[in-house]
Amino acid sequence: MLKIEGLTVRYRTPGGVVEALTDISLEAPKGKTLAIVGESGSGKSTVALAAMGLLPAEAGRPEGRILFDGADVLAMDDAQKRALRGARIGLVFQDPFSVLNPSLRIGDQVGEGLVHHRGYTREKAFARAVELLDEVGILKPEAIARAYPHELSGGMRQRALIAGAIASEPDLLILDEPTTALDVTIEAQILDLLETIRARRGLTMVFISHNLGLVRRVADRVAVLYAGQVVEEGAAEAVLHRSMHPYAKGLLAAIPRLGRKQLRLAAIPGRLPDLRKPPAGCRFEPRCPFAGPESCAPQVLRTVGDRQVRCARAEIVKDMAWPATAIDPVAAENAAPRSDEPVVVAANLSKRFVLSQGLVFEGWRPRLRAVTTTAVDDISLDVAAGEVVGLVGESGSGKTTLGRTILRLAEPNAGEIRIAGEVITGKPQKALEGMRRTAQIVFQNPDSSLNPRKTIGELIARPIVRFGLAPKGEVAAKVRALLDLVRLPAHYADRYAHQMSGGEKQRVGIARALATEPRFIVCDEPVSALDVSVQAAIVNLLADLRDRLGVAYLFISHDISVVAHLADRIAVMNRGKIVEIGKAAEIMNNPQHPYTIRLLSAVPTVDGPRHPRAAEPQP
Amino acid sequence: MSLQLKAGLLITGTIVILGLLAPWIAPHPWDTISMRTRFLAPNATYWLGTDEFGRDVLSRLLMGTRLSLAMGVSATLVSLAIGVPIGLAAGYFRGRIDEILMRAADVLMAVPPIMLGLLVLAVTPPALWKTALAVGFVYVPPIARVARAVTLSLANEEFIQAAKARAESTPYILFREILPNAWPPLIVEASLRVTYAILLGSALSFLGLGAQPPSSDWGLMISEARSFIDRAPWIALAPGFAMCALVIGINLLGDGARERLDPRLKARIGKA
Repeated sequence: MLKIEGLTVRYRTPGGVVEALTDISLEAPKGKTLAIVGESGSGKSTVALAAMGLLPAEAGRPEGRILFDGADVLAMDDAQKRALRGARIGLVFQDPFSVLNPSLRIGDQVGEGLVHHRGYTREKAFARAVELLDEVGILKPEAIARAYPHELSGGMRQRALIAGAIASEPDLLILDEPTTALDVTIEAQILDLLETIRARRGLTMVFISHNLGLVRRVADRVAVLYAGQVVEEGAAEAVLHRSMHPYAKGLLAAIPRLGRKQLRLAAIPGRLPDLRKPPAGCRFEPRCPFAGPESCAPQVLRTVGDRQVRCARAEIVKDMAWPATAIDPVAAENAAPRSDEPVVVAANLSKRFVLSQGLVFEGWRPRLRAVTTTAVDDISLDVAAGEVVGLVGESGSGKTTLGRTILRLAEPNAGEIRIAGEVITGKPQKALEGMRRTAQIVFQNPDSSLNPRKTIGELIARPIVRFGLAPKGEVAAKVRALLDLVRLPAHYADRYAHQMSGGEKQRVGIARALATEPRFIVCDEPVSALDVSVQAAIVNLLADLRDRLGVAYLFISHDISVVAHLADRIAVMNRGKIVEIGKAAEIMNNPQHPYTIRLLSAVPTVDGPRHPRAAEPQP
Repeated sequence: MSLQLKAGLLITGTIVILGLLAPWIAPHPWDTISMRTRFLAPNATYWLGTDEFGRDVLSRLLMGTRLSLAMGVSATLVSLAIGVPIGLAAGYFRGRIDEILMRAADVLMAVPPIMLGLLVLAVTPPALWKTALAVGFVYVPPIARVARAVTLSLANEEFIQAAKARAESTPYILFREILPNAWPPLIVEASLRVTYAILLGSALSFLGLGAQPPSSDWGLMISEARSFIDRAPWIALAPGFAMCALVIGINLLGDGARERLDPRLKARIGKA
């Protein structure tokens, strides 16, 4: 159905020409699902854009051919491409929140393609849109078709987008990270929906994702992309369970597995090569533990057994496992003794937000009435010294608010908080000096948590200066020590945030939090914005620091497998309440609350089975 | 460096340098009256001609550059000094403080700038510093608005939360965390205000409320030349064109600078 041959895409940028894709050859057979996996910067989204003929002007004219049903997309003029896009290829984007036009009704947006490509009238298209919304499992499709995007939840919007993509009955559906912005339970529903549609309509799908667990559930074939090259391609089961290419091995080793507790995750050292001047030899060689003398030569994609691999040593490496990460010896030696003495005690904590204030008439008297939502509802929680308490829950469950309320970055409406024995509720912010030193926070978004106008040195030095933790002459030495602690070279002190990768920025965020020598850190989704291999390194770092410094964490994440890996205890949050709390192993193996069970069963895992197939399409 | 920035730097730089060097490079004394050389059209000796008192227009133009620039820059500094703290406070505290400050700014904006200038200068004897102050005051609201808008978006950034988490004082957060990030849009806005201030200052001089004769200001020059515009158009045209060039130059400079100053923009270019 879709066949890509020798596709090379180069972007002209002010910094030089970037080769985003190098000689990519892929094939999505009719009625099958091809998954393209890779980390950010691997070029996976560029493949989707190229296949749709939507490459930006900076890309110039790519080399190679993209054959859709035998016709070359790259050779088409704009009108032909438009006809193809609307009628025969459907595209679903990552972010359902920004793709829909906020000022048009859902029904009109779903039916838009029909008006342009099938010559439907507005009324007829709208009627068809209602049928399509029904097909993608939206209840009350007539009402939803008349609604505007802001009235819909994320999952509903993604369903509406899928309805729009299948409206003109395309043969090929390209999905670019279709569930990344959604919660796991919604994600599971969307995957079911896609599978049903695929089977019913005999669709061919190209599924782009960084989530290997997800890929395992949907894909027939998997192509692993690294630095603009396909490094391994084959049947999903083979690639994901018996991977041959070192990068694929590393990627799979780096994800935390449910029900398989390891002390440290495997990590891939180093970072992506600079694609402005890609290395001559194997592009993965600098990060590869299996590299040999053959790796210095350019690698070719060749057939090994049942798949294609871009590694000269594939036969040798095939059965070797990715090396496990050792526990930091310093941490192991100096392991701080753990105690049961709680460092944080929160009792009956509540936090309400006022959503809107409106005038309501009571008889003839106007009264101000506030619409409120309770983000944290009567929660009691304690964290022992050196303990990691994981806090999981879906978006909107109130986990971030709980973390911030405990640190009094949000003011609680009721309840008492004690940190290191000191009652911190009911005091003015100015009286919280001591607590601010003892308790720190690491944020989710490495781009937003570092002031872009300050050097890394200034950022880390500020807490030290602020609390007078070192005499003036020794601040620089202290900054160097902190950088060393988070495994960044000392010369990074002169850099700015934008000169660093996401993982490095997150390390700086951790160093800044550690600068006050805290006993408790709230980690608010610290790895959610990072790639799998980087995520593993940061999670390992947090584990080492806990062992070495005896810091306690409240580790907030929507990713249960990461929490299960790191946490001693897990608290599950839903609608402002903790529905279940207990030892990590108990929660994972024997969940009690229905919500926990639902959450756990929705998590897609690499080890899990493939999605049950609906009836195979007729050939 | 973009073409815009280069052109802006070239035009503005030339005018500033000419203005600074005016006393030394002016071909003739700028304030000596000579009745024998009245209303001479541009010629080899007097490149831009002479005015009604026989003074060299080019020399007066060069000297006027200083006054006009000083007017524009000092007025803008006044509006920055008042407007930036107002905008930061309004955007950071939100709620009632925001309402009070911004509605006050709206009231100020409703008064036509020239009226406010007239009001201040009509009741007290005209002086150049008062003109600068009045003009600066008039342009507080737009500066405050820009500062507020930037602060609103920055206040939700996680690095502000991080600063709160280490108990930083509010002034530290406003001036050390937020302000450095607010500079790029503020500089662009300020450069635009410099040109407006020069025009407004010249307008006030034209009405006799700014620079006083015999000092030479571009607005004043045009005002004095008005009566002879049919006989000697060059006296009015020269300062008019100069003002035009300066305004264009500064605008180009401001727009070009915006692209270079934003570290995020730079990050995007660096990453791509």
